[in-house]
Amino acid sequence: MSMKQKPDPTIRTIQAGILAWILPGAGHFLLGHRGIAAVFFIAISFAYGTGLAIGGVKNSVNPQANRWLFLAELGVGGYTIVGYVVSNNLPNYGAKELSPYVSFYPESDVAQIYLAIGGLLNLLAILDALTRAQTGGLPVFYQEMTPTADVPSEGRK
Amino acid sequence: MTPPLAALLAWIPFIHPLHLPEGARLWMFLPLAACVAVVYRATRARTARELPRATLKTFVNIVVGMCLIAIAAYAIHEGVLRFSRG
Repeated sequence: MSMKQKPDPTIRTIQAGILAWILPGAGHFLLGHRGIAAVFFIAISFAYGTGLAIGGVKNSVNPQANRWLFLAELGVGGYTIVGYVVSNNLPNYGAKELSPYVSFYPESDVAQIYLAIGGLLNLLAILDALTRAQTGGLPVFYQEMTPTADVPSEGRK
Repeated sequence: MTPPLAALLAWIPFIHPLHLPEGARLWMFLPLAACVAVVYRATRARTARELPRATLKTFVNIVVGMCLIAIAAYAIHEGVLRFSRG
C-alpha cells in the first residue's frame, strides 16, 4: 500500500500571500477560512474605501504627492495599483485653478489616516494568511495564547 | 434642481473627494478603531465565531485608552500653559 505524501506547504503559502496582497481576505479564502476571509475583506476594504472616498484618488494614491502614504497603501496591492492607474489618468490643474479632484484639510488628513491604516492592516492579514498556510490553519499568535493547547501535530515543525 | 442635489448627482465616488460635515472628524475615529479591533482579533481567532465578543472587548479597550491619552495630553497642555504664565 502506497502512502500519500503531504503536499508541500510552500506553494500554498506563496499563493495565499500573493492573493492576500491583491485582495484582502483572498488568501484566507484560498486556505478555506471563509468566515475569517469575509471579516478581513470587509474591515480592510471599509477602511481603505472610506479613505479613498474622502480623499479622492488623485492625491491620495500618488507617490509624487506623498511617498510614505503610498508605501503604506501598497499593503493592499490590488486597490492601490488600480487607484494609481486611475490617479494618473485624471487631468492636472494649474497652480491657480482649484482642482475638483484634490481634497484639503481636514478631509485630506482623515483620508490619509484611513488609507495608511487600511494598507498596514492588510500586512497583518497577509502575515496571518502565511502563518495559517504553514501551520494548517492556526492563527499567528495561537501558540502564544495557549501554550498548553493541544496543537495538531501538522501545525508544528 | 437645488445646488446640494446637483452637487450630489455630479459626485463620482473615489474621484471627487467627499466633504465631511463640521465636527465629523473626531467621530471618524470610531469606525477606524472598529476596523483595527476586528482585524487584530481576526489574526488571533481560529474561526470567525470567536470574533464578536473579543472584538467588542478590544474596541472598548482602544476607545478607552485613546480617551485617557487625550485627557492626559489635555492636562499636560493646560499645565504647560498655566506654568508658562507664571
